[in-house]
Amino acid sequence: MRCQQLSTPRRRHHRKMPPSTQVDALSTPTRAPDGSETAANAAEGAPARRQPPPESNESMWTRRAVIFSFWAVVVFLGLPVWWKTTAIYRADLPLQAMTDWADGKICKPVFPLRIAVEASALQSPDAQHLIRTTQHALDDLNEFSAHHLRLMLADSPWTANLSQQVVSDGLRISGKDEDIALTIRLVPVETGTTPRSHLQQYAPTLDVYYAANQIPPASSTSSPLATFIAHELHKMFAEEQAQLAYLLSTTSSAHSAKIKSLSPETAAELERQSTRALKYAPTYHLTFSLFSPTFVPSAWEIESALQQYLAPLLESFSSISNFTVDSQVQLYAGFSPSIRQPEYDETLNAWTLRKEDLSGFINAAEWPLSPSIGIGPTVNFVLYVPDQSQSPLLVKENGGNSWLIPQWGGVLILNPAQAANTANTPTTLTREALAPAMHTFANQLLSLLGLPQTPNSLPLRLSTLKRVRAASLLFSASSTLGALARLTRALPSIPIPDKVAISVDFTTDHLQQACNNLREGRFQGALEHARIAEAEAEKAFFERSMVGQVYFPDEHKAAVYLPLMGPVAVPLLMAALKEFKGLSARRRG
Amino acid sequence: MRSHCLDNSFQPSPRGCNAAMLSFLSLLFFNLLITFTAAGQDYYERLLLRPLPQSALLASFNFRSNESSASFDQQNFRYFPRSLGQILQHARTKELHLRFSLGRWDAESWGQRPWDGAREGGTGVELWAWLEAQSEEEAFSRWLTLTNALSGLFCASLNFIDATKTIRPVMSFQPEGDHHNSSNLHLLHGTLPHEVVCTENLTPFLKLLPCKGKAGVSSLLDGHKLFDASWQTMSIDVRPVCGKDGADCVLEMEQSVDMVLDIDRSRRPRDNPIPRPLPIEEIACDTSKHYNAEDTCYPLHKSAEPGWNLTEIFGRPLKGACPLTDGDGEGANTVCINTPPERIIQANTTGQYLETWIASDTVRCYKLPTGSDFDLNLPEQEMTTGLILATPPLFAARSINGHGQERGSIQAIIRNPSATDAVEFVYLESLPWFMKPYLHTLRARVDTTSTNPIQETYYRPAVDRARGTHLELRMLIPASSTLTLTYDFEKAILRYTEYPPDANRGFDVAPAVLKLLSSQSSLGDNKGVYLRTTSLLLPLPTPDFSMPYNVIILTSTVMALGFGNIFNLLVRRFVGAEEVMALGAGGLRGVVAARVAAMRTRLLGR
Repeated sequence: MRCQQLSTPRRRHHRKMPPSTQVDALSTPTRAPDGSETAANAAEGAPARRQPPPESNESMWTRRAVIFSFWAVVVFLGLPVWWKTTAIYRADLPLQAMTDWADGKICKPVFPLRIAVEASALQSPDAQHLIRTTQHALDDLNEFSAHHLRLMLADSPWTANLSQQVVSDGLRISGKDEDIALTIRLVPVETGTTPRSHLQQYAPTLDVYYAANQIPPASSTSSPLATFIAHELHKMFAEEQAQLAYLLSTTSSAHSAKIKSLSPETAAELERQSTRALKYAPTYHLTFSLFSPTFVPSAWEIESALQQYLAPLLESFSSISNFTVDSQVQLYAGFSPSIRQPEYDETLNAWTLRKEDLSGFINAAEWPLSPSIGIGPTVNFVLYVPDQSQSPLLVKENGGNSWLIPQWGGVLILNPAQAANTANTPTTLTREALAPAMHTFANQLLSLLGLPQTPNSLPLRLSTLKRVRAASLLFSASSTLGALARLTRALPSIPIPDKVAISVDFTTDHLQQACNNLREGRFQGALEHARIAEAEAEKAFFERSMVGQVYFPDEHKAAVYLPLMGPVAVPLLMAALKEFKGLSARRRG
Repeated sequence: MRSHCLDNSFQPSPRGCNAAMLSFLSLLFFNLLITFTAAGQDYYERLLLRPLPQSALLASFNFRSNESSASFDQQNFRYFPRSLGQILQHARTKELHLRFSLGRWDAESWGQRPWDGAREGGTGVELWAWLEAQSEEEAFSRWLTLTNALSGLFCASLNFIDATKTIRPVMSFQPEGDHHNSSNLHLLHGTLPHEVVCTENLTPFLKLLPCKGKAGVSSLLDGHKLFDASWQTMSIDVRPVCGKDGADCVLEMEQSVDMVLDIDRSRRPRDNPIPRPLPIEEIACDTSKHYNAEDTCYPLHKSAEPGWNLTEIFGRPLKGACPLTDGDGEGANTVCINTPPERIIQANTTGQYLETWIASDTVRCYKLPTGSDFDLNLPEQEMTTGLILATPPLFAARSINGHGQERGSIQAIIRNPSATDAVEFVYLESLPWFMKPYLHTLRARVDTTSTNPIQETYYRPAVDRARGTHLELRMLIPASSTLTLTYDFEKAILRYTEYPPDANRGFDVAPAVLKLLSSQSSLGDNKGVYLRTTSLLLPLPTPDFSMPYNVIILTSTVMALGFGNIFNLLVRRFVGAEEVMALGAGGLRGVVAARVAAMRTRLLGR
């Protein structure tokens, strides 16, 4: 019923339409909806069909041109524009070079150490000969080719004789050169056992005492003095060699072949040391905290204690890293409740903590040990004063009272009754009472910074640290570059801004310079370049705009494109297909 | 009777006004006493309890710790928390004021605000600070550093204080501390009215205290009770304080928590918090009612002060004194209660305590024992005397008027209750950028005179998405009159991504801040007298959030339709309807029709 009612006005409407006289073809489709008539026509039989006029060649070609031009616009204009506007900008990165750096193919670090020999009492030819024989003995001892010692005769400032001015064969160096790792002073003596040596504790100087008759004659190729010096030097740099060899072996596979000389025990010890040490940073924040489960002691003379016990140490480190120091007092801060409560030990006459509980001692939930603001890691030193009822508090297994937490800091339990010999915990810890704690903290800081144990000369240990740090920075920057290259290859959908490319160039530039400096024995320069390279590499890797659009799911893209692309693509495709069909049919026919 | 008392703006104790026998004791401002305590000592704390009408109880906690500026600069922290100290140093902040508030101070029944309003903030979070910087840009970048760092420290969304929520007030705030070179100092002020203050903000707050809530009055602070209060505000104020000659500077950090607890509500046990009617036997019934029977009862109004004790009200015991406070003198009296002298108060403790009566016996202070619990017990008591609560210098209320999604207007009604004194004050509005006031519609009327009360206007218009409106008005309101301030505003339409997830809830508008200029603070220092209105909820037109997809679909459909038609017109060959079949190109219908015809011939042919 309703359909009819609806259809009648429509039909009437069609009839009312003015007959289109211009183009007959256009009026035909409007009549087409009257399906019944056509169906009836078709059913009545084929003979009644009227043949359409044959299609003119011209209109056929026009149609083809239209289809072709649509396709041309889509392919040559639409697709490129779409590609261009949705493409992710990726700056060119020297991926191969970056991978090569990471694999250690570009830079093989070497550590030529220059050692000056001051032999003021010797004639120049004798001294040259001594150096040559010693160098020979030294080279025989050395098993690690990347690290070698070069002896050189130094100008003695107080004895400038004629022969030294004449000879300029590159084997002489000025006594004030910063890059000299060690100075050997040959001192002739009359008494005592000879040869003997003495390493100065606060200067990079080794005094060697010898008797006059121990100078090798010009004809001999070896002498006891030369062998002695060579052995001394080898012993002094043994730990540094081991550290560097270990570093080379762990950071890149290319070097692993070279460290046959490392015994498993040494390797384990070095691994322990290196996992303990903090990552290198130009600035470290040191935080000294006093924790007490009660309200005493509520004050400590930390200012003067830091000034007296720590400031000189930090000053000597200034060429490697800077330090900021802060301190805090926290009361009513007991250790973590998750560990076993201390037990009273009759034999030690003290309360004891189990060794396995020490790792849970830090009460991370309640102690305000948040990292300091600013760039660089925070090293925490915790001084814990136990409650009077649980004092003295010690570690059960060894009776110690301090321990080190790798890459985090150190803890010391200060039992004030021992220190002050009074019944009650004092309200203020004096500088003297803090002295043992400060010494422990200083030692802990040294091992946290990765300072080697030997030799017994602070400047030498520091310069060793400088070389080790330079090498480790070099490796870490290289491996960061490698990681960035891998990331770039693995994730094609992340954008890479120009900044990253610039940083990468900068990094490789400084890495190259650091490598050159190492080869030439300028370790301070190498450290500085490696430091810049490391910072730039990190900057490139952690570029913020790279992580923004990593994930943009395909379903989302389909949902956005399909409503437009679908209806547009179907007529285009069908028209093209039909035309091809017609074309092939005509060719066949 | 009762309402009569309210109209007179003084509040007797809730035993009501049936009292020819009721004598009023003048209430000395107890706050005055606090200023007497020397600033030299390192740590100071105090709790002041004051019963308010309608069985409410005001508890004001105040903690103050000092650090000498020399050791602060060297980063050797003792009582000053290291975490906050490093933030202040990193952001070069010289003076800091941070507020977390919840609820509304009912000035009509509770009277003057604690600390004269100087230690309270608007609903949500409010932060203002004086930063040292060479230029405005530098100051703003340091401000961002500060808000981000504080956001992490206090677990609050302070990092959302960006340029649109930051203003630079001109008249409303003055530095409280002693600053040497004030020319480099920049004041910035930001508010987050939408922030819900809760337990996660209290925990870091307590960690900043030297006794950490383990001893001293801070051991009473419990998140369950604090955030259940009718009104509460937590504040942190850091300022440098110097001696008379400008030397001996210390950095003073003051933390305070003020809250108004409903005694009945607080006394409910935590495991049974739903208020249930008492059994009828326990209710005192009004027997004069004619319907009074065994099972019907009209409860009599309780005229007695309710009984309570500290442990019940705060949900935990007071664990003795924090031993870092002074052992004797003014600073040792850490718990004080402000009641009429006739009120019976029993102190329960196993340790040694000391009771002191001060301020015409209206304030009793207790020196707490160290190491043992302390409790105050106030039994239920019929009172014959009450304390007069001080009348606030101004009453202020603000609301949004109007209807529709396009425009609205703000109306602020400010009343001066004083019969003698005119009050001069600064009115500060910090409006979000999407609420655009029309300044030409700004009207201020006083009901008693026809003179314009506005004396000075400071206005900084909003910039879309860059900064909010900052409006400061200095106004004078004559004695016992009411000022009505109105202005119209337009609501902006936000971008799709600018709406929060709960867009239909509306947007919070920060409370207006009123600073009184004429009256001196009763505390006698430069903290000032402040008043804040409540925050407002502004409904904005919200779109249908499926809009972008609808737009994509609709435009795509239209484009596809147009394209399809034009393309078909261009490439199709048009023939007469009768000729369609001859071409064999009838489309689907042609195919169907051919099939039907074939079937027919087969059937008929047979």
